[in-house]
Amino acid sequence: MLENFSFRTIVEYLPLFGQGFAATLWLSIVSFAGALAVGIILCAMNLQRSRLLQLPAKIYIDAIRATPLLAQLYFLYFGLPRLGVVLPELFVGILALALNSGAYIAEIIRAGILSISRGQVEAGIASGMTYAQRMRLVILPQAIRVTIPPLLGQAIVLVKDSALLSLISVAELTRAGQLLASDRFMPAEGFLTTAACYLVLYYGLKSLAAFSARWLGVRPIGSRT
Amino acid sequence: MIEFRGVNKWFGALHVLKDITLSVEPREVVVVCGPSGSGKSTLIRCINGLETIQNGDLVVDGQRLGDRATNMTELRTEIGFVFQAFNLYPHKTALENVTLAPIHVRKIARAEAEASGREMLAKVGLADKFNAYPSELSGGQQQRVAIARCLCMRPKIMLFDEPTSALDPEMISEVLDVMVGVAEEGMTMMVVTHEMGFARKVAQRVVFMDAGAVVETGTPEEFFSDPKTDRSRAFLSKILRH
Amino acid sequence: MIWFQLQSLIGSYPLALRGLGMTIALSGISLVLGTILGFALGVLRTSGSRMLDSIIGLWVDLIRGTPFLVQIFLIFFILPELGVELGAFTAGIIALTNLAACFICEIVAAGIRSVPTGQVEAALASGLSQWQRMRQVVLPQAMRVSLPPLVGQYVLLIKDSSVVSAIGLTDLTRVGWLVVQRVPNGLLVFAIVGIGYFVVCYPLILLARRLERRMSAAHGEVQL
Repeated sequence: MLENFSFRTIVEYLPLFGQGFAATLWLSIVSFAGALAVGIILCAMNLQRSRLLQLPAKIYIDAIRATPLLAQLYFLYFGLPRLGVVLPELFVGILALALNSGAYIAEIIRAGILSISRGQVEAGIASGMTYAQRMRLVILPQAIRVTIPPLLGQAIVLVKDSALLSLISVAELTRAGQLLASDRFMPAEGFLTTAACYLVLYYGLKSLAAFSARWLGVRPIGSRT
Repeated sequence: MIEFRGVNKWFGALHVLKDITLSVEPREVVVVCGPSGSGKSTLIRCINGLETIQNGDLVVDGQRLGDRATNMTELRTEIGFVFQAFNLYPHKTALENVTLAPIHVRKIARAEAEASGREMLAKVGLADKFNAYPSELSGGQQQRVAIARCLCMRPKIMLFDEPTSALDPEMISEVLDVMVGVAEEGMTMMVVTHEMGFARKVAQRVVFMDAGAVVETGTPEEFFSDPKTDRSRAFLSKILRH
Repeated sequence: MIWFQLQSLIGSYPLALRGLGMTIALSGISLVLGTILGFALGVLRTSGSRMLDSIIGLWVDLIRGTPFLVQIFLIFFILPELGVELGAFTAGIIALTNLAACFICEIVAAGIRSVPTGQVEAALASGLSQWQRMRQVVLPQAMRVSLPPLVGQYVLLIKDSSVVSAIGLTDLTRVGWLVVQRVPNGLLVFAIVGIGYFVVCYPLILLARRLERRMSAAHGEVQL
């Protein structure tokens, strides 16, 4: 039973959890920024008429969506050295998260753009705007409003996904729990503390998503939380 | 100004415009009517290229649509289009809605565009709504902003696609009044509508369409007092009863 | 070199099949159990009891707010401390079923809430019992809304099953990890692992898309 649950050990390990928390936070932010870049590029390709641009984006998105992040992570972790690219584990992890979330973000942005009604597009056409002008002046400003809440949902997913980086020994939040669990044979203390830290991040992002949805006056469209 | 010569259009297997031949002179106001599904909206949507035609000639302001030499984007700046569903930009205020295209398409200086935007909004009776967003305006007000949005581009032609059919009855006249004003200033207009009062007041000609073909054209007096075909008589008896 | 690696890979064929079998067994069992549990929780959540709603809501939040890897560790390492003896397979099934139930509960609850109250009132007016209202009127309509995200959720769960490799279960991902120790070609090995998942998940993704398109058939693709 858990009658030996030791808060003292947790307090002892708090600095480690603090570092893990900070690491998870900033590596998530960096990965999310990367994922946004990947997502915008993929979405732009996917919306082109040219099949030559559309097809690679579609294949990439489907390949990412149909395979687990862990397999993608191992693919890069064990595969990059094979190509002569030797990166620290942390970079490999950030790369995997960005490439993975980017595919989902591409779909979120696409859904946002396609949610703009045909009439808006026609109004732009009728007043003589070019494709680029319609995108910039009419569609994107409206699409960004509807995509912000699901993008925050994707950020929640990314933070949780980043736990997998502990499996390639990146020093982050879950790794801190693993260390406490294995050093002192205290898995309950280790993993419950880890879980609590993630919940702080989760509730933070969740209230931000709810607040942004209310502030932007939109209902969130399909998100993957 | 607008000339259809033997124009045909299909949506897949559906023949929506059948051998249309029709011309609209400068400063002329033409009302297009007909039962729903008769192709009247498609007809005017072809004029600014929202729909493409499959064969025949369509010449607008001296330029043949579909020609390499014809720059559709430029031609559209000369054609105002008023939609049934208004299609105002929800993220822009009334003034921003009417100045967006002048600033970015016509490349007019912002201050100048805003001055003319205010003038046009005042002209359609919305001098107090410059900073209102579309969601804060009634349907009739939104449609008047949409008309002002077209006028700000100083177009040569205005097209109206059932501009009052999405409106509550009490708001129809405020929009029609604005349209009458535009017509009286000598604008070339093609208007798809069932508002026969409007047709009588300003139209030089009424075009009646059914099943994708122009069945009858005539002055409003001829058309309303002495419709020549069974189909137009049937149509008129239905709409005039209301 | 490559030839030698390929030979070695072909030698791992039975192991790979076992891994695929494990992945399918794990996800299959948890999907069925999770769907049943998720539907039950979803119906309970919308049954009108505030207390039930907030208890289930809290549990769902706790599960949605923490990484699945941490959940597996908690179940695998802590249940034995509470006196529940369990192997890695059972721990994996419990963790996945719980995860599935929580997500499916939300999907089902959202589907039920999307049914207009007029429908319930009509059913009330014609004298149907609460169970009949749910069974005959509400659930069939809720299903139409819930089906596409439900199928999408299944794909996520199959992929999440890869995480149980962390507690030593020999699923497809773990097989890749084992093979790559002997055949040091991560690109090749994990590309094959990826294909294994793709074969299972992609048809489901296509199905979800078709269901979604059928639901929004009224809206055509927007030309930009």
